[in-house]
Amino acid sequence: MFEEPYRWMEAVATRHNYVQEKLKMGQPVLAVPYNEGLLIFGFAPQPGKIYEIYDRIALGGVGHPADVERLRMNLLDMAHLEGFNRSAQDVTSARLLQFGIAPALKQNFEEIQRAPYIIRLLLVELNEEGKPNFFRMNYDGHWETFKNGTAIAGDENVMDWLQREIQKQPFATYSLDQALQEATKLWDESRKIQSDNNDSDLDIDLPETLQEAFDQWYLEGAVLTEKSTSKAIYRPLAEDEINRLKSSIG
Amino acid sequence: MDKLPANGKSTVPQGTTVLAFHYEDGVIVAGDRRILAGSNLMFERCEKIIPIDTYSLMAVAGVPAIAFEISRILSQYFEYYRRTQVRPMSLEGKIRTFSKLLKENLTASTSGLTRVSPIFATFDIETGKPSIFYYDMLGAEFQVLSFTATGAGAGHIRDVLERENQWGPKPLAQRCEKDAAVIAMKLLNVAAQMDNQEKNALGDVQIYPILAKVTENGYQFWSDDQMTLLESMARGER
Repeated sequence: MFEEPYRWMEAVATRHNYVQEKLKMGQPVLAVPYNEGLLIFGFAPQPGKIYEIYDRIALGGVGHPADVERLRMNLLDMAHLEGFNRSAQDVTSARLLQFGIAPALKQNFEEIQRAPYIIRLLLVELNEEGKPNFFRMNYDGHWETFKNGTAIAGDENVMDWLQREIQKQPFATYSLDQALQEATKLWDESRKIQSDNNDSDLDIDLPETLQEAFDQWYLEGAVLTEKSTSKAIYRPLAEDEINRLKSSIG
Repeated sequence: MDKLPANGKSTVPQGTTVLAFHYEDGVIVAGDRRILAGSNLMFERCEKIIPIDTYSLMAVAGVPAIAFEISRILSQYFEYYRRTQVRPMSLEGKIRTFSKLLKENLTASTSGLTRVSPIFATFDIETGKPSIFYYDMLGAEFQVLSFTATGAGAGHIRDVLERENQWGPKPLAQRCEKDAAVIAMKLLNVAAQMDNQEKNALGDVQIYPILAKVTENGYQFWSDDQMTLLESMARGER
């Protein structure tokens, strides 16, 4: 069936449609710099969006939880093998993506007999010089890098809108509280774009207000901060930081 | 086989004093910096207190090659578990993993070539309690409720620790951080006085011992500036 090039291209195009449709309701994950490091966070009906990968690397995921989990484990295995055999300094996001999962994802996507990964990933890193790096990876293995923050979302329009809006703000000069507030506002506004784009049959119960999001969903967030005295600089947002955010928007 | 050194007379680098004791906020861990091969000083800036994860430190006495490798493997095990399972390894799991690594070194350690005698200090965030474990070279672990020390100078300072714990102004576990840090510095000075292998070889260069604490906030090392202050306090109070 796939011996003709056209049939193969048609099958790949169908896969794009299939994956994009499946991803559509994925809730955004935002990553922005702030004056002491970087922040990654997102709201979701179920926890499981933000993870630590290595000493200076964190992951955000949108898509099917089983696929996110499989790729998370691949990243963890690669990072720890490299860190043990060589050095923690040799474990970088760029290497994990470029030589690790990007080629594997592309191959998986184009082998049309296999089930595609339904994911979008966001990999962030605070490098040894304290400079934040942001990477976005698509389900087909295509990846991009950003200097001033980025976002992933199930809906491409929402993702593009968030990307544009993040670039407009000087997040790198903000304190953590300020960065969290501004990024939360962007997440809130992005829901309107998501609602406008949604087909009626894809509708789920989206929270109507931020307060509802806090009440009904999980806010997952973490920072990579130079202020940490530990070798592993990842830490989840503390309860008092989330409470301050809640009261600032309340 | 007859070319192997007799037990206890190995010529590979060794000679150390490391110690750990409970204080009111957690555990103090301290150690000297010297590596010796027989009577030869091989290195005077060795870091014998090694972070394993955010809440655990290992203090090593014995052959550095094995001690460092054990610390690297332990760190890898603990951190990999924590990141994959999204929760830290249990205290019991950590202790058994450590013990298993020492048992795997059994053949080499009984030959007298690669003996390691470590202390493991950790803070269990599940129970909110600090713990100290001492291991023999065969991998048996012993939980220490007050203090422990290992290495060449340990015998001398155990006596001082016992005296401080029993007849000092308060038991060690009730001392404040400043007092505990000063005691640790004094103990390392005692070890250096009594054990010829531990004196500072470079008279014009100040090389401080390593001093760290493990509390509910994780481990933290004293900086050089803090050590300068602590050193003068330890000597001033003598």
